[in-house]
Amino acid sequence: MEEKTQLSNGEQRRVLVRLLSYAKPHKKEIAIAFLLLLLTTVGDIVLPLLVKVFIDDYLTPRKLDFTPLVILGSTYMGIQFVKAILLFYQLVAFQRIALYIIQQLRIDVFAKVQSLGLKYFDKTPAGSIVSRVTNDTEAIKDMFVTVISTFIQSGVFLAGIFISMFILDIKLGLLCVVLIPILMLVIVLYRKYSSRYYLDMRERLSQLNAKLSESLQGMSIVQVFRQEKRLRAEFAAINEKHYDAGMKNIKIDALLLRPAIDLIYIFGLIIVLTYFGITSFDTTVKIGVIYAFINYVDRFFEPVNQMMMRLSLYQQAIVAGSRVFKLLDHEELAPAQEEEQKQEFAIEEGKIEFNNVSFSYDGKRDVLKNISFTANPGETVALVGHTGSGKSSIINLMMRFYEFDRGEISIDGQSIRRFSKQELREKLGLVLQDPFLFYGTVKDNIRLHQKTMTEEQVEEAAKFVQANAFIEKLEKGYNHKVVERGATFSSGQRQLIAFARTIAANPKILVLDEATANIDTETEEAIQTALAKMRKGRTTIAIAHRLSTIQDADLILVLHQGEIVERGTHQELLSQRGLYHKMYLLQNGLSQQVEDPIH
Amino acid sequence: MKVFLELGWFFKQEKKAYISGVLILLFVALLQLVPPKVIGIIADHIHDRTLTKGLLAEWVLVLIASGLAMYVLRYYWRIQIFGSAVKLSKILRNQLYHHFTKMSPSFYQKNRIGDLMAHATNDLAAIQQTAGSGVLTLVDSLSTGGFVILAMAFTISWKLTLICLIPMPLLAILTSWFGTMLHKSFYKAQEAFSSLNDKTQESIMGIKVIKTFGQEKEDIEDFRRQSEDVVQKNIVVAKIDSLYDPTISIIVGISYFLSIVFGAKYVLNGELTIGQLISFTTYLGLLIWPMLAFGWLFNIMERGSASYDRVSALLREKVEIKDTANALNKVPVGDIEYQLAQFTYPGESRPMLKEIYFSLKRGETLGIVGKTGAGKTTLLKLLIREFEGYQGKILFGGHPLQAYKLDRLREAVGYVPQDHFLFSATVAENIAFTNPSATKQEIETAAKLANIHEDILQFTDGYQTVVGERGVSLSGGQKQRISIARALLMNPEVLILDDSLSAVDAKTEEAILSSLRENREGKTTIITSHRLSAIQHADLILVIDEGQIMERGTHESLMADAGWYKEMYLHQQLEELVEHGGQ
Repeated sequence: MEEKTQLSNGEQRRVLVRLLSYAKPHKKEIAIAFLLLLLTTVGDIVLPLLVKVFIDDYLTPRKLDFTPLVILGSTYMGIQFVKAILLFYQLVAFQRIALYIIQQLRIDVFAKVQSLGLKYFDKTPAGSIVSRVTNDTEAIKDMFVTVISTFIQSGVFLAGIFISMFILDIKLGLLCVVLIPILMLVIVLYRKYSSRYYLDMRERLSQLNAKLSESLQGMSIVQVFRQEKRLRAEFAAINEKHYDAGMKNIKIDALLLRPAIDLIYIFGLIIVLTYFGITSFDTTVKIGVIYAFINYVDRFFEPVNQMMMRLSLYQQAIVAGSRVFKLLDHEELAPAQEEEQKQEFAIEEGKIEFNNVSFSYDGKRDVLKNISFTANPGETVALVGHTGSGKSSIINLMMRFYEFDRGEISIDGQSIRRFSKQELREKLGLVLQDPFLFYGTVKDNIRLHQKTMTEEQVEEAAKFVQANAFIEKLEKGYNHKVVERGATFSSGQRQLIAFARTIAANPKILVLDEATANIDTETEEAIQTALAKMRKGRTTIAIAHRLSTIQDADLILVLHQGEIVERGTHQELLSQRGLYHKMYLLQNGLSQQVEDPIH
Repeated sequence: MKVFLELGWFFKQEKKAYISGVLILLFVALLQLVPPKVIGIIADHIHDRTLTKGLLAEWVLVLIASGLAMYVLRYYWRIQIFGSAVKLSKILRNQLYHHFTKMSPSFYQKNRIGDLMAHATNDLAAIQQTAGSGVLTLVDSLSTGGFVILAMAFTISWKLTLICLIPMPLLAILTSWFGTMLHKSFYKAQEAFSSLNDKTQESIMGIKVIKTFGQEKEDIEDFRRQSEDVVQKNIVVAKIDSLYDPTISIIVGISYFLSIVFGAKYVLNGELTIGQLISFTTYLGLLIWPMLAFGWLFNIMERGSASYDRVSALLREKVEIKDTANALNKVPVGDIEYQLAQFTYPGESRPMLKEIYFSLKRGETLGIVGKTGAGKTTLLKLLIREFEGYQGKILFGGHPLQAYKLDRLREAVGYVPQDHFLFSATVAENIAFTNPSATKQEIETAAKLANIHEDILQFTDGYQTVVGERGVSLSGGQKQRISIARALLMNPEVLILDDSLSAVDAKTEEAILSSLRENREGKTTIITSHRLSAIQHADLILVIDEGQIMERGTHESLMADAGWYKEMYLHQQLEELVEHGGQ
C-alpha cells in the first residue's frame, strides 16, 4: 500500500532536522519548558545527596541534633513537593508544544493539498491523501510528544546523574562512563534489528487490514461467486506471516530491550560495589556515598529503557515524516493565473472561445485534438459523445482544473489565464455529474462557506431551482442534517441542492456535467425545468448524456476520440444522418430504423 | 478477573507455554531479591571494615550469576507469555474472518464495515494485551510485590516494612483512577481526531466543489478550527497523563522518607545495620512497579473484557442462510418459477415484494423495469439466497431453491451487481475471480464479450494493471464491464445484470447486449434496467412498482397494453416522435 519504507541515514537525518524546524516558532515556550526540566532534574539529583548527608554526617557519627535534622527532613520533603509540581508543568509544557507543532504541520499539509491540481487527485487515492494529513501527522505527533520529550528529559537527567557522580567521586564517575559505550552498543544493535523487524510487522499488519477491509466490502461478491474458502486461505496465510513477524519482534525485544538493560544495571552495580570494596581495603568509605551511588545507578537505567521503548515510534515518525514532506514538496500545483498585470480583467459578457485546443493528461496520448468553438453570450453549447470522447476534459480545462499547453481558451476575448482566480470562481458556475454534499445542513450546503449569504438568499436560490418543494417537506427544512455525502437524499434531490448552490453564487457562465443514470422520470422533469431556467441569460457549456435534454442548444458538438466530428443544431445534425443521428436512434431504442447502426 | 475465566479455553490450550512462563516469572521475581541483598551485605562489610578480597569476589560472582540467569529467564518468559498472546490474536482473527465469510447481507446491514474492522483490529489488540501484558502484570505484580515485601519484612524489619507501605495503596488507587480518567479523555481526543479525519476525507472527495467555488481559504480555516479542537482535547489527555509521574514521585518520596527516618531510628537502637537500611531502600525501589502495575492491571482487564465480549458477541451471531439437511448436491438447471406471496426485509414492517408470480423457461431472457426502490434488486437477491424468510417459494429446475446446496445454487448464477466492486488485484485476476486458474484465452474471451477488451489493452499494463481501491482508477463504465466479464467467465446457467449497464453509453450497451444474445444461446438471462432499450428484446418483461408486478408481457404486448411501460417508452421517445412526425 505505501511506498518503500527504507530510508538511508542521510534521508532520515534530513527529515528529522526539517521536523525539528517546526519547533522554531515556539522558542519561548521551549525555553520555559527547559528551565522547568532543569529545575526538576536538579531536584532529582539533590534528593539522594541529602540522604547521603544525613547518613554520613548524622547517622553514622550518631550525632542527632534535633534542629538540623528537622531542617534536613523538611528540606527533603519540600524539594520533593516542589519538584512534583514543577514536573507536572514541565510534562504538560512539552506535550502542549508538541501538539501545536503538529497542528501547524497538519494545517500546512492540508493547505498544500488544497493548492494541488486535480492531476494529483486523479493519480492518488483519496484514502492515501487523508492518511498523509491525519495518520502520518499523528505518527509524527507521537514522536514529538513521547520520543523527543522523553529523549530530552532522559538526556538531561542522565547528564545530571553523571555530573553529580563526578562531584561525589571523580574516579568512580569515570569508571561509570564505561557503561555508556555498552549502552550505546545495545541501542545501536536494537535500532538496527528492531527497525527492520518492526517495519516488516507494520507492513504485514497493513496488508492484513487491507485484506480484511476489502473482503468485508466485497463480501457479497465473494459469497455469490463462492470464493469464501479461497479467501479464508489467503487471509490465513497473511495472518500467519503477521504472526511470524510478531514473534520475531518479541524475540528481538526480549534479547535487547529490558532484559539486556537490566543486565547492564547489574554490571553497573558490580562496578560501584567493587570500587568501594577495593577502596575500603585502604581507607574508610562513607556509607552515604555508597547509598547515593547505588541510588543513581538504580535510576540511571529507567530513562534508558524509556528511550529504547520509544525508538520504534521514532522510526515510524521518520517514515511518516518523509511521506508528509514528499507531499509538501509536490509540485503539481493547480494551474496558476498570470499575476503581473496592470489591470483587473472582468467577465462582462460571457463569450467563450476555444481556439485549437489540444490537451493530454499524461503527455503521451491527446484526449483533445484541435478543439475550436465559440459560445456567444447567453448561448448554450452542448457536448455529446460516448464515454472517453473528451467531453469532461473540455470542462476540466474550462474550469482551470488542468493546465493546457496548446491552443487558447478565452472569455470575452481575453485569455482565460489572465483573469484572477477570484473572478473565475465568481463568474463560472459548475454543476458536477455526481453532486457532492458536505456533512452539515441543507443551508450549509447551499451557501458553503459564504457567511455573508442571508437565509433569504439561500431560500430564493432553492426556490429558483424548485428545490424548495422537497426541502420544505424535510423535518427541519433548511436546517435538515445532511449526513456523509448526502446519502439520505436521492440523487435527483442532491442534484437540485447542487443547482441551488450554483445559482446562489449567481455565475455569469454555467458549466454543466449532466447526471445520467438512476434519476427517476419525475425528479428528472423538475431537474430539466430548473436547468432551462438556470440557462436563461447565461452562457452555458453542457455535457449531455441524454440527447433529448439539449435539443434547444444553440450549438451541439459531437466528440469522438477527442475530436469534434460533427457540429450544428439538433435539427441540422439529425439531417446530416451521421454519428449524432445514430446515437439518437440508439438512445431511443430505434436501432432497427437504420441499416447499420453499429459500424 | 472475568476475562481470564473467559479466556480459559485458550490458557488450557496453551497450558505448557503459560505454566512454564509463569514459573519462570516467579523464579525471576525471587532472583530479583538477590542484588539489593548483596548491596546491603557489602555495605555492612565496608562499614564494619570486614570486607576481604575473597568475600568481595564471592559476592560479585553471585551478582554475575543472578544477572545472567535473570537475562536468560526473562527472555524465555517473554517468548512464552507474549508469544502465546500473539497466537491468541491470530486464532481469533482467523475465526472472525471465517465467521464474516459465512454471514449473509442482513448481517452487513446491521454492522457497519468500519465497526467490524475496529473489532478485528482494536478489540483483538486489547484482547492480546490482556493475554500477554495482563497475565504478566497479574503474576509479576503479585509475585514481585509479595516476594519483596516478604524479604523486607523477614530479612530486615517487619515494623519498618509496615511503616513504609502505608502510602503505597494510595499509589495503586490513584494511578488506577488516573487510568480511568485517561481512558475517557483519550476517547474524546480520539473522537475529535476521527472527526478531523472525516473532515479531511470530505474535503478531498469534494475538492472539485471547493475549487469551483474558490473556497480553499475558508476550508483551510475550517480545518484549522477542527484541528484546534483536536489540540485542546489532547491537552486534557496530556494533563492527566502528566499527573502520573509527579504522583508517583511524591508517594514514593514519602515512603522513602518514612523508611529513612524510622530506619535511622532502628539503626541507632541497634535493630538494623546501615547496610540493611540501604538494602531496604533498594527493595522499596522494586516495589514501585508492582504497585503501578496493580492500578494498570484493572484498566487492561476492563478493556480486554469489554473487547472480548464484543468479539464473542460477533462470533455468536448465527449463520442465517445455510444448507438444509439432504440438500441436493447438483447445480440447478432449467426453468425458474417465482411463486412469492410476500417478502419483508428483516426489521422492516412494510413488505418489499408482494405477489410475484411468473415463470421463465430455460434459455429465455427476463427484463425487469421499474423505479428506484421498486424492488427489482430484491427480487434478484432472493434468487441467489442472499435473503430468505419469504412466504411462498421460488423454484429452479423444478425444486425450491432451498433444496440445493447453497454452493451449488450459486454455481449456476453469474451475478453482476449494481454497485460494481473490484478487488485490489490485476484486471486478469478480477475477471478470473471465480476460477483463478482460468487461461489467458478464457479471460480475454470474457472481456471481449463484455466489450472491455479494447479498453484493457489501453491500460498501462494491459491485463496486468492493478485495479480496485489501491490500483488505478477506472471509470464507472469500465468497472461495470469488468464486473460483467467476471460473471461471464463462469459461463453461468443464469446471468443476472442488475442495472449493470447504467454507466455505459447507449452504443456500448447495445454492443454488449447483442454479443450476449449471440453467445448465450439456451441459457437464461435476467436484466434489470432503467433504460428500456436494455430489456426491449426480453422474452418476458415485468414492470414492478412498490413491490408488485404492475404489467407483464413482451415489448410488443406491453406497448399494446398501453400502461406505464408504454407511457415510459413514449416519454423516452416523445421528442423523437415529434421530429419524425409520428413514425
